[in-house]
Formats: sequence, structure tokens, C-alpha cells
Amino acid sequence: MKDNDRRPDPASPGDSAVLADTEADMADGTARLALDQAFDSGTLYALRAAVQAHAIQEGLPESRTDDLVIAVHELAANAVRHGAGAGRLRMWERDGALHCQVDDGGSPASGSQAGPGGNMADRWPFLQGHGLWLVRLVADQISVFSGLGGTRATVVFLPATGQDPSVSAPD
Amino acid sequence: MPVSAHTQVTELTEDAHACLTFGVQEDLLDLTAAFVRDGLASGFRVVVLSDSPQLAAAKLGWREVAAEAAVATGQMVMAASQDGLVGPQGFSAGQAMGWLRDQLTDSRRQGYAGIRVALDMSWALRPMTGIEELPVLEEEIAAAVSGAGMSVLCGYDRERFDPVTLALIAPFHSHAVAAATYYDDPVLRICRQYVPPGIRLAGEMDFLAAEALALALGEAIRIDGDITINMANLSFIDASSIRMIADAAASLDPSRTVILRCRPAIETRFEQLGADRLPQVSLVSVDEG
Repeated sequence: MKDNDRRPDPASPGDSAVLADTEADMADGTARLALDQAFDSGTLYALRAAVQAHAIQEGLPESRTDDLVIAVHELAANAVRHGAGAGRLRMWERDGALHCQVDDGGSPASGSQAGPGGNMADRWPFLQGHGLWLVRLVADQISVFSGLGGTRATVVFLPATGQDPSVSAPD
Repeated sequence: MPVSAHTQVTELTEDAHACLTFGVQEDLLDLTAAFVRDGLASGFRVVVLSDSPQLAAAKLGWREVAAEAAVATGQMVMAASQDGLVGPQGFSAGQAMGWLRDQLTDSRRQGYAGIRVALDMSWALRPMTGIEELPVLEEEIAAAVSGAGMSVLCGYDRERFDPVTLALIAPFHSHAVAAATYYDDPVLRICRQYVPPGIRLAGEMDFLAAEALALALGEAIRIDGDITINMANLSFIDASSIRMIADAAASLDPSRTVILRCRPAIETRFEQLGADRLPQVSLVSVDEG
């Protein structure tokens, strides 16, 4: 409860700023790739374990690490269930923020209602109680693009600030 | 006596000599709790033997088995292995049987209509003299329960006892008892929970095991009354699994409660997805472990 009070309502758009993608972030030299891992339905468990280990290594607090793991899992699960059945996760750090990008490697059919190049995060099925609703609830930023190569979803977890309730001692 | 596989612990009658094999300690505690609860409800004397009676009593506590009250009235006896089956000079089948017969005699003298004895056999894993007589003990228990109004539940850890020993002692039992398991791999285990009734999830739960979760929930909601979904040892759950649990809860009459026992991090997920707002759902926070 206490966590969602400070977060925007996932049903209302506005937190879907256009995010840089992996290639652009890597090219200008300000980002550092932490993890690059392919996944399918048989390796989701390994993906979660890898994401958790790297998030801890990057200094994310425990509760935010849990949030990052569920966000990546739900995006990856979406790729497995509704995309090509497999995908690729890349995770990098830039200015203290953790970026996780999931490519579903599928055809653009799943998101064809949005033209290539447009951020379709607002048009994704963010049904209350569903996985993507949860992703939007826990991530600080989210963007979704669909193109010829499939759908690319990126979530950003900003560095913790002093008054961030998620880093305060549990009650 | 024939060994009937897959007997439910709740179906054990008197004169049973049941072999409970388990892979996780929770199963031993849960199945023992069911055996104890049903024995107390029938008005029988119940004897529970374990390495640590105090710990065993505490573990029975949250399972709604009124162990302390039953011990106070004398209906229940919590015994330590070293005070019962194992003597100071090691193990002998004769001495162990002597202790068991004393329990039977005492319960009859006190006027109990029957007696249930739950034996945590982990003491037999320790090196001690005479342990080769373990099959003799099991054979003699089989003879002793016949027509005596006594039932004995022997708990063996199938991960720690060697297969040869288990093969030797199994035929002397009238029933084989194990937890009903819906899913079991290194990442996730879904099994029935007997006391309090419901299911238990341990490890990491995601949509890949949806079919097993649906089956487990379907069986759990068929029983009357409240249901407990014990997730104390669950470290991850995804949105589709939470939704499946919430849908199962929502399908129940609002007078029934689905108690979700989980760690704070898992509790947060149920709250984020709105499951805590269902009238049937009661979230109970437990410490990790």
C-alpha cells in the first residue's frame, strides 16, 4: 500500500517519456552495459536470478530490486506468451539509473495498432491487475515501441533519493 | 499387510501403521498435525515423539492444533526420542517396543478409547549401536497395532534415509502416506496443506506452472470453510499467478475466507494488484524462512 501511494496511477498516461534505446545510450559512452541475456520460457527463472544479482551489484535497494525483477519478468513473460516465444534483455546503468530493455523478437503484429516509431506505452493493455499494470506501477519510466523487428519495452529505475520510502527501514 | 500407496493422512483409521515419507520438513509437520488433530478430535490419547518436543509443539501451534491445551489435560504427550525409542546404551528393538507398549497400556488405563503415536524417525539417522534392528522394530509395531486400537505414523525423510533402509522398512507398514503434490521441481513446489486446510507454495511461482496452480486451487476451494494459501517460503510470484489466486478467492461465497500467508514483499504484490480489496481475502504477513 505504502509504495503505490507515491506512484502515478498506472491507468493515466504521463510517465511514458521517450527513452533512449540501448544502441543510442551505448554509443555516446555514458552508459555501461551490465547484462545482456537471451531468454525463453525455459530460462525465465535464470533471467530473474541474473537481473536480481546485477541489480544488487548496481546498488539498488532490496525492495526496488524486487520491483525491478517483477518488471523484467512481466515484460519477458509478455514476450514469451504473446511475442515470438523468446527474447533478449539488456540492462545498463546511466547516470545512476538502471535501464532494462526487453526485445520480444517477434513480428510487429502484436502491436500493429501503433505505427513504427511511436511510443505505444499508453496503448498497451494496462489492465488493472495484469502484468503490465504492475510494470507501470513499479517502474519510474516505461516506453514501448513496436517496429519491424518486434516490440521493444524499456523500463527505468531511478536512483534512490534520501526520502525514498522504499529505502527506509521496514516497519 | 498390503501397502496401499497414496493414502491420505486424513483417511488413516485405527490399527494403521503408516509410513510417512517426506522431502521437506514442512510436510512432516503438516501431515503430523493432521494426524494429531484428527486423533484429538476423536478423543484418543496422542503421543508425538520428536528430537525437539518444544519446537514441535510450537510448530503445531500456528496450525490451529491446540497442542498445549491437550498436553495440559494429559490427552497429548510430547516425548523426546532419547526418552522413548532410544536408550542410553543405543537402540534396541525390544526396548523401543517396551516404550510403545507402555504408551498403549497407559492410555488404556486412563480410559482413552484409542491411541495415536506419531514418530519422527530422524533419530535413526544418527550413528548408534543396534540401529540394524530398525526393521525388527517396524515389524513388531505392525504386529502390535493389529486389533489394539492403536495407530502409528512413522515419519521418514526420503532425502536423508538411504533407499536400502527405506525399502527394508516400507513393507512392514499398512499404509504409505505422503503430501499430495501438484508440482515439484527445483524452482517451485505446490502441494496440499492439510492443517490448516489449503495449499502451500514454495520457491518461485510464475505462469509456467499455471495448470498445476489451477488444479491445486480447484481442489482447495472444494473443501468447506476457510482456506489457507501458505506462501511463507515463496520468494517470487508473478501477476498472472496472483490473478489466478484472486479469481479463485472471488469465486467463493463472501462468508468464506482465503488466508494468504506470505512475506511482506509478496504481500505488497497482492496489494498492488488489488487482491486485498476482495472481501474473501485476508493477508497475513509472516517472517521470511
